[in-house]
Amino acid sequence: MRNQNLIRVGSACLLVVALVGAALASRELLGTGREEFAPNRRFEPSRIDNPNYPVRNPFYFEGKIDYELLGIDEPENAWEYLQRGIWHQDDREDLAAAKADYRHSIALNDPSTGTCRIIRSRADLEISDPPPCMFTPRLRLAYLLLHEDPDESIRLFREVLEIDPLFLEVNLLIGKAYHDIAKTTADPEGKLQAYEAAIRAFRAELELAPVASPDITPDRVNNSTVHWHLAEVYEESGQLEDAIMEFDLYLEATRWHSDVYPWRIPLAAKKIEILRSQVVQPGHGGGPDSANPQFRESAGP
Amino acid sequence: MHRVHASWRGGFNDRVQFGQMDCYVGRGMLLCARRSMTVYADMSGSKYTFEPSWPRAVVGRPLCPVPAGDRDHPRKMAFHARFARGLYCSSFWIALLVSIDVASGQTSDRVPLMDLIRGQAFSRPEECLPCHRRQYDELRTAVKAGYRNVSPLFNALELAGNFFGGGRLRPVYGDSAQLTSDGTPLTANVVSAQRFTHVNEMQAGFCIGCHAPHVVLMGEDPDRREIPELAGLGMAFRPGQIRPLRDYHFIDGRGEQVLPAAIGGSPPPGSKPSLGASGISCDVCHNVIGPDLDRSVRRDGLGNGSFTLFPSLSKVGPFRFPLAVKGSFHSASLDPNRIAYLRSSDFCGSCHDVRMPGVSLTHRESNLNEGSESVTTYRLENLNTEWETGVYNSTENPFGRVIRCQDCHMSAYPYGGDSTYHVGDMRITSPTPAVFSLGFAAEPGVSTEFNARLPKRPVTNHYFTGVDVPLMSAAEMSARLGPGYPEADAHGLDRHGVPNGLAQRREDLLEAAVRISLGETDQHARAGQPFTVRLTAVSLTGHRFPAGFSQERTAYVELTIKDFHGFLLYQSGYVVDKPHPETAEMEPDGNLDDEDLEHLHAVVDPGRWTAPYRPGTASNGHTNSLFALGPDNGPEARVFFGADQGLVLWRNTLTRVFLPGDAVGRAKASNRPVVAQGPHFEETFSAAFANSVDNYRSLAPLRPTTYRYNVELPTEEELGLLGIDLVGPLHVQAQVNFLHFPPLFLRFLARTTGAEGPAGHDLNLLDEQRMDDFLVNVRGVARAETFVELVP
Repeated sequence: MRNQNLIRVGSACLLVVALVGAALASRELLGTGREEFAPNRRFEPSRIDNPNYPVRNPFYFEGKIDYELLGIDEPENAWEYLQRGIWHQDDREDLAAAKADYRHSIALNDPSTGTCRIIRSRADLEISDPPPCMFTPRLRLAYLLLHEDPDESIRLFREVLEIDPLFLEVNLLIGKAYHDIAKTTADPEGKLQAYEAAIRAFRAELELAPVASPDITPDRVNNSTVHWHLAEVYEESGQLEDAIMEFDLYLEATRWHSDVYPWRIPLAAKKIEILRSQVVQPGHGGGPDSANPQFRESAGP
Repeated sequence: MHRVHASWRGGFNDRVQFGQMDCYVGRGMLLCARRSMTVYADMSGSKYTFEPSWPRAVVGRPLCPVPAGDRDHPRKMAFHARFARGLYCSSFWIALLVSIDVASGQTSDRVPLMDLIRGQAFSRPEECLPCHRRQYDELRTAVKAGYRNVSPLFNALELAGNFFGGGRLRPVYGDSAQLTSDGTPLTANVVSAQRFTHVNEMQAGFCIGCHAPHVVLMGEDPDRREIPELAGLGMAFRPGQIRPLRDYHFIDGRGEQVLPAAIGGSPPPGSKPSLGASGISCDVCHNVIGPDLDRSVRRDGLGNGSFTLFPSLSKVGPFRFPLAVKGSFHSASLDPNRIAYLRSSDFCGSCHDVRMPGVSLTHRESNLNEGSESVTTYRLENLNTEWETGVYNSTENPFGRVIRCQDCHMSAYPYGGDSTYHVGDMRITSPTPAVFSLGFAAEPGVSTEFNARLPKRPVTNHYFTGVDVPLMSAAEMSARLGPGYPEADAHGLDRHGVPNGLAQRREDLLEAAVRISLGETDQHARAGQPFTVRLTAVSLTGHRFPAGFSQERTAYVELTIKDFHGFLLYQSGYVVDKPHPETAEMEPDGNLDDEDLEHLHAVVDPGRWTAPYRPGTASNGHTNSLFALGPDNGPEARVFFGADQGLVLWRNTLTRVFLPGDAVGRAKASNRPVVAQGPHFEETFSAAFANSVDNYRSLAPLRPTTYRYNVELPTEEELGLLGIDLVGPLHVQAQVNFLHFPPLFLRFLARTTGAEGPAGHDLNLLDEQRMDDFLVNVRGVARAETFVELVP
């Protein structure tokens, strides 16, 4: 008897549970269960709500984004012109189109026209417009103009140093631009000034990345590339003792890092040998007098 | 009052919890009582008490209410009564479990219905072993499970973040007395929060919340908490007292937690791995309900463990029509939404996108959840988003179908045969994704109800092979994860032809990841003149390459140019053996795998112990003590200057944007601190210190990208000084190498968790020796060569 009662009660419970389950299941079948999530969403690039289109905050993202991810038909602002210019240069090797886009980007991001600001303090960031000035379009255009218009290139590089005086390799490239000018200038005074300016720029580059404590690095010298270029400039300008010193510093800097052009290492050693033999000989001649005090720069770091 | 006698000892070993009730089942009986009580009652109201020394084991089993008349002598029941009881019992539970299961799939939020009934606590993977041997063995070799949580790198990185941020990365729980940085109660963490109302909630348990979300959830019960709260956060944090997370993953023979005697010390003698040691194991994925959009910053279900996890008897698998499980050990979910979620890339993306709490100064992205607007993030790891916005999440790929994460990382890939196709001008032969081995989802003959025949069908594997291999020996892993832990270098193949060894699988996966070509290189070169090498690379991965922990995963091109006699004219992507005084390696050690590439020379400040403690860089480091561009500078030059020079490095970049007035962490030659005068963008190796990320340095999928090297050959004069006669043709060789962590990053972690770091004592995680023993550079995963004619 008790078993029969229990079975009746149990059956009633079963019926209730089954009805509840069926109701819930039917709710699911009617598609009213899940909210806005849908797995495996498809993506259509656009300017809006695009994880690949960064919204500046307050700085622009100054890297390179694959252009087709941006959903841009035609650029509408300085940043978009920059991205398209990068695409022209890197992916299509269309340097003319790249330069045009970089110029357009800079024209829309120019402190002299109030379309961008040089940030000098945190207070400057409290103003959202105009946006901070970008360095990438200036760097890229300057690099493309390095040999064809070094003066313009230098001007653009100096704009970047206005934005960020600590930006590495800008001074190096300014030095290379002046080195190019020196090599192509026939006028001796102009050549002298160009060499002088190159040396100052290379020295400024060294200032930005000094050697650290021996507790954390085996390097006594770094910036091998800068020392190589300094050595070349000193050698070409007849400052042989300084050239020897820079080749020495170059060798020290490459001791634990080699060079992308590894033949420069034995070449530097050879040049030191040759230059030393020239320095001890009287009348080594050629180029500006190395005893000229204006070429006596301070020793490296 | 009845006493359950010792003679019944063998019958009452199963305990199950129903909400606040403790129940025991056995010998046809179900006895329940409120927790902590000792007097139990059956369904008829008869009372029982257990003898004090009664053994108790927690095993989840389905229960069957028993008619009162049978309680004393269940074996003497009449057959018809037993049949009726069996039918009733099965129907009850089937209906209940189905309705609960379907109900649980109705919402992507918390499932309040399930709060009433908890069928099963989180189980150890050994519980699944008898019926799912193959999956158990496969998962055991995956770094996702087990190793990940005892990894010295993971533990060191988590500690480094805590040293920097005042302990904010450790979980807090509902019973916490901690406060946010604003002085409001902090009682939720990244897993437990309903919606984030403060950034400290997202930070709490940030790392472990994806590495062991179930452990964080269990921590809401103080009796089950593996990872305790820290005593103090923020300014009250005591770096000398924090333990590595892996210290908490040991239990003794009674199942009680034991800790190493010293902070960061060796495994306690006789200890076993806890549930937390098993990491992302069976009961994490197969208890998932669906995405938790309220904890998802962009309400896309991606990032930071934004899924709902609920431990129950209802496990979700990939099959729409699973067979009944033997003894109803668990049920197999029939909820189509739940199954679809498990099968989708979105499930993977719930952890494999990582959104860092904080603000990016170059990318504003708002939190779309009402009430969470102040909790902003920036995209640290973007792996799933890369897939979602890429060609594999479409039919516009060589395979003509959507290729999900599972189609490469849980399939026979790359051992399932090859396909040949074109990408741009490159003809490519590569492994075919979405090929699954035929097999059984469970052990035949033991796993199904009534021993129902299991169909042989395409099954996933649980290797989850990626690019990581352990930085620990097999002995160390066995000591922390259990005896016989598989070695990464294991030999042989499994039954489906997949290598047993993780190291081999990783290498094979890398070889399937990328192709390069030098076909567009200049055909001629002349001494003293520049010429251009063009290297075209295409990633075949479903996401960018590398991806995930992509600011550390390092893939790069090693390029050399030699003349006919082997004279080296140009090199990029090279390494040089050197001393590392920062980690007491005072001489070169003959090992090149622990060397950084030569595009950048950097040393990260590890910080130091100070009293009183202050969060941030002042005493905790994370800035670059040394930062100089090297001779092989390619990454910065290529991205910012557009220069055709230097290293091609596929590694994303963490960036610190220093604002005017900020000290960058090092001094000039004059010893004056270097201070930013304008916004200064500098690469950092600390996610805690970064406020911008470049996630586009890695190689995009199926997008041929050409990198140019403008190479200057020596002049005739220079060759004369060197005594070299250059002979053509020039041999240009390129290969792609992979290093899974930058050595400078490991050295930073070694120092920050070492004796001189903020803790003030050694946490025994990383050192130079471990790097020498385990850091391996996988070379030549792709190769190309060409010859260039040397003209006078």
